[in-house]
Amino acid sequence: MATETPVRPRPDREEGPGRPAARVRRDLFGVGLWLPATVAVLICGFAWTAVAEDQPYLLPLLPEVGGVLVGDPLLFLSNAWSTLQIALLGVGFGAGTAFVLALVMSEAPVVRRAIMPLAVVLNVTPVVALAPALVVAFGFGMAPKVIVTAIITFFPVLINMTTGLRSVPSPVLHVFSTLHASRLEVLLRLRVPSSLPYALAALRVVFPLSIVGAVVAEFVAAGSSSGLGTMIRTSAATARLEYVYAAIACLAAMGVLMLALITVLERRLLFWHESQQ
Amino acid sequence: MSGDRIEVRGLTKTYEGADPLRPALQNVDLEIPRGRFVSLIGPSGCGKSTLLRVVAGLEEHDTGTVSVFGSTPQNMAAAKAVGLVPQTPALLPWLNVRRNVSLPSRVNRRAGRGSEDPDLLLRMVGLDDSARKYPHELSGGMRQRVAIARAFGIRPDLLLMDEPFSALDEFTREALQLQLLGLWERMSTTVLFVTHSVREAVTLSDTVVVMSARPGRVHEVLHVDLPRPRDRDVVTGPHMHVLEDRVRASLQTAWEAGAAPDDLIPL
Repeated sequence: MATETPVRPRPDREEGPGRPAARVRRDLFGVGLWLPATVAVLICGFAWTAVAEDQPYLLPLLPEVGGVLVGDPLLFLSNAWSTLQIALLGVGFGAGTAFVLALVMSEAPVVRRAIMPLAVVLNVTPVVALAPALVVAFGFGMAPKVIVTAIITFFPVLINMTTGLRSVPSPVLHVFSTLHASRLEVLLRLRVPSSLPYALAALRVVFPLSIVGAVVAEFVAAGSSSGLGTMIRTSAATARLEYVYAAIACLAAMGVLMLALITVLERRLLFWHESQQ
Repeated sequence: MSGDRIEVRGLTKTYEGADPLRPALQNVDLEIPRGRFVSLIGPSGCGKSTLLRVVAGLEEHDTGTVSVFGSTPQNMAAAKAVGLVPQTPALLPWLNVRRNVSLPSRVNRRAGRGSEDPDLLLRMVGLDDSARKYPHELSGGMRQRVAIARAFGIRPDLLLMDEPFSALDEFTREALQLQLLGLWERMSTTVLFVTHSVREAVTLSDTVVVMSARPGRVHEVLHVDLPRPRDRDVVTGPHMHVLEDRVRASLQTAWEAGAAPDDLIPL
């Protein structure tokens, strides 16, 4: 036979894991990934220090912030836990209510027509404006803060779940229809699993938002005695900036941890979804 | 109404907001004896998918009667006697292959209908070593095979298939056609198969119903007298080509019989 078939791989495939795709992958998990971010952080650090040395009432020196954190970790941990509790309870109530309401609304259109306008109004009302009124109603303590957080986390979950429950492709619904599946079976076997990607996407937005809600509630609800938000407020009032920024650092860490949790949850629960491919 | 055939008499259906002079289906008469493999073929808009959905009980019709083995389509669905293979595989992506195939037996248990062993079904479609895989790990052809296995799972009296192979390449398509015939002969059910491929219709069916569009109606009913089982020899033989030409000719006149779509009217 006169045709020549290549016996060896083509040259650009010869360099071991040097194929274009593999090279990029190695770069991503190697230097290319962490170097730019690290450089950016270092630049910010230098800029911060420059400002802090020049204007101590604007920014505290970074070593002072670190010192305060390391010097009394229990203080920050207990306050962080206090804020976290409010955030988690708020998400639990807000997202939980939204989830149940979305299920009911998907099956009973009349409920949707009744509730949706109220939900929209609640969503556009600045929740922080409600906080003082809630303190009057529910007193000092956790209740008004949890309610504020729940309200903030309610709407995104409701909207996403409503869309998600309706995102079952019609061929699948047809198959279930020819099997004469009951509405409950369609809801539990089709709609709820289909809505999971949407629900988790909403939680990804809402978990960090719940921390914001908890902190803001602590700012506004006078007489609050614990929590990182309270610490920020009292420390700012007494110009102890190291405590302010230490608390902010804790809040940032909390937000990152919550997002990491959601990411792990998504990987386990949504292995089948296009978003994870 | 007799229990040994599917009878459609004077069926008319117009979609809401559509031209009432050109219903999706107009005065369709059709009779399908039990155990036959019948294809519906025709130009776009001839109502073949609509007819399938009406027989499935998924859509209401305006006038006429539909009787499926002496019963209404809705009663057949309630008794879980109908299997549907839609155009897309329509598998549940969060379930593995085996659980997808066994799903119909777990839904509507009140119908009390027995089901086929899912492992046996998977073996018959050649996917027994993919039982634990998930739909996103399968190719299009494999997913469609799972959908077919799922439909056969409830041992349906009527199997409805809506262009199930239209998204597959030529060779996969031909392989699946022969595999479907093997399944059909083993499980013996009545099949109503919508396609727009002449070759596919002749390969698979006992009867080819050619429809025309605007309005949707039955143009001609042709019988396919190829011997069964239909293996590769039959399918590549001369009589096959004769039948294909006959169907194609009928399809041509059906195409011309339907009023031309507005955008094809020459200026």
